[in-house]
Amino acid sequence: MIEFVLDGRSKVNTYVQLVQQVKQALRVGMLTPGDQLPKVRDVARSLAINPNTVLKAYRELELEGLVEGRPGVGTFVKATLASAPMSDQAELRGDLVAWVHRARDAGLTPDDVTALVQTTIRASYPRQEEHA
Amino acid sequence: MEYVLETDQLGKRYGGRWAVRDCTLRLPAGRVAALVGPNGAGKSTLLHMAVGLLRPDAGAVRVLGRAPYGDTELLSDIGFVAQDTPLYRDFTAAELVTMGGKLNRRWDAALARTRLAQLGLPPDRPVGKLSGGQRAQVALALALAKRPSLLLLDEPVASLDPLARREFLQALMGSVAETGATVLLSSHILADLERTCDYVVVLSASQVRLAGPTDELATSHRQLIGPRHDGGPIGGVAAVVRASHTDRQSTLLVRTDGPITDPMWTVREPSLEDTILAYLTEGDTRASHSEWGVAA
Amino acid sequence: MIWLTWRQHRKQALYTLAGLLALAALIVPTGLSMRGTYADKGLRACLDGLRDGNLSPEASNTCMRALDAFNDQYGTLTFAGVLLLVLPLLVGLFWGAPLVARETEQGTHRLVWTQGISRRRWALVKVAAVGGFTLAVAVVYGLGTSWWMAPLMHAGQLSRFESGLFDMQGIAPIGYTLFAVALGVFAGTVWHKVLPAMGVALAGFAVLRIALTVLLRPRLMPPKVRTYLVEGNTGERGNLTGDWVLAKQVRNPDGSIVASNTEVSCPPGVTGPGGKACGADLGLQAGAYNWQQYQPGDRFWLFQSIEAGVFVALAILLFYLAIRRVRRIA
Repeated sequence: MIEFVLDGRSKVNTYVQLVQQVKQALRVGMLTPGDQLPKVRDVARSLAINPNTVLKAYRELELEGLVEGRPGVGTFVKATLASAPMSDQAELRGDLVAWVHRARDAGLTPDDVTALVQTTIRASYPRQEEHA
Repeated sequence: MEYVLETDQLGKRYGGRWAVRDCTLRLPAGRVAALVGPNGAGKSTLLHMAVGLLRPDAGAVRVLGRAPYGDTELLSDIGFVAQDTPLYRDFTAAELVTMGGKLNRRWDAALARTRLAQLGLPPDRPVGKLSGGQRAQVALALALAKRPSLLLLDEPVASLDPLARREFLQALMGSVAETGATVLLSSHILADLERTCDYVVVLSASQVRLAGPTDELATSHRQLIGPRHDGGPIGGVAAVVRASHTDRQSTLLVRTDGPITDPMWTVREPSLEDTILAYLTEGDTRASHSEWGVAA
Repeated sequence: MIWLTWRQHRKQALYTLAGLLALAALIVPTGLSMRGTYADKGLRACLDGLRDGNLSPEASNTCMRALDAFNDQYGTLTFAGVLLLVLPLLVGLFWGAPLVARETEQGTHRLVWTQGISRRRWALVKVAAVGGFTLAVAVVYGLGTSWWMAPLMHAGQLSRFESGLFDMQGIAPIGYTLFAVALGVFAGTVWHKVLPAMGVALAGFAVLRIALTVLLRPRLMPPKVRTYLVEGNTGERGNLTGDWVLAKQVRNPDGSIVASNTEVSCPPGVTGPGGKACGADLGLQAGAYNWQQYQPGDRFWLFQSIEAGVFVALAILLFYLAIRRVRRIA
């Protein structure tokens, strides 16, 4: 079982924070198929948040096929988040390091780099745009 | 959609002054709604009409389709916690639970006792000797023991310290999750609302300025920053809620009806608090202008 | 609802009963000892004799001495009666005024009126319980006081009809008490704080009681008039028969008023200074008579009933208005 934590200063919507936290747990292997998510009532109580927000987060996870609700029992993890294999990640990271070095040599500040990366991500992942 | 609380051009007058006026609302079942507004905006009056303490002077209020004033049967479906959580101070919490049992046809004494036990409240001390937070918890437990479909809370956390406020909201959210009751809670404190409420009603100067689900409010309002703008339509803007200007720059909070594409404007998503404040300010200045007899 | 009423008012009821017991502790022993003395000294026969005027001069003197002794011993107790004069008011202030006003002052009306019972039922039960309790208390102290004061009234040759004495015995105090409670309850439905409600009840009670006592009571029934000659009169008459004398004058045979608010007696054979006829120095002519307007003592219970009735009726009206008003308070 995981425990949700909210970032009070974050501008990110509460339910998005919950979704992200579950996904993070799936990514790092803290949650595996068959695990139960905390009950809606308990999350609502411990975080003092609207239960509808928790329901919305769980529904979103369900739509993405990551969890499934069993009526009267709870919500259980169905799938794991298959991220790219570690070997792929290492290769990509190598490319990125080389690229960042080039950017630095070209005179870009870290802020310039971040802005460039963000605009590129926005252009390449159209679905993310809706949430931004 | 099923509405638990409906009002139609509801009004209440004290002497010559309207405390609530032209109030039309539809609160869908299962919502946790915030009734927001400054002190004296008419929040308590609206809640008192909803729980049948006051008779409307104009229009109608219906709870579960029935007019609450004088309808004792309907009262068993409405849980109410009045402002400052009034309780008989010389009664113990256990006695208050007993009292509820004597006065209500449907009464879940076990629920109330369990809740109070979980909170570690002493059953045999006069509630006048408990802390404000504990009294608020007792009042909430009493309201919940009716197993109401609609829970009305008048400024339940206004006088509580941050810890007690959080504990109260935790208890409230937990029980909402359990019972599925519809909640309308009034507050002039905007913090906490974004997380606890999924519906907002903004009341200012006795009138409803805004009512709707919070996620809709989030998507339908934008803050625009750009060069000074003196009226005139902006593509995608349905209405300007609040505008402030310097000699060069205008900052607008607008309700949108489409994407804002004009590159002149920097578009930001306002927080719920920003949006609510914009509506409250709008009501304020409008009222004060008319009171001072000058054009707004 | 009955449980709630009991739970809310039990402390108050206990204090009231304690107060009543304290009062009884004062009244019962003194009352018994008074009655003992009264019987031992044969004061009843004395008073009967004095009234009928058939006592020998020695017997009359003995009687007067016995009465004086009795009055010296117990007369000051009459002042304790003042306490009984304000009892109805106190009950009204402390039982009536807070009934609704304390709820609205502390906001608990919003708690209790949003439970599953109607406000009308709440108000009816409260009014019935508090009204019934105070009625019982009033009956006990009203009749208890009458019993206690009877010997004092007789021996002191006081008319129980007199203002002040009338008001603290019999059934009238029951009416006053109920009225005071009702006024307090009603005031509490108009002024939503305990102290102002008490203040209004206090003022309203005092004004109405004084107004009715001064203006209405003497005129409840047409007063009677009697005249008797100055000459041959042995003493004041009214007090022995318990009459309530409203006005007294001394008049000459032609009807002209010589003096007001007084009575002149010239026992047989008595002469005025300088051997003149008795009363001649006052300007009395032969055949001058005393004139008195009075309510006869045997109307006492009738007047008590009327006054009690008036106040009970007012109390019922105020209770009714209070219950109606309760439905409009938020």
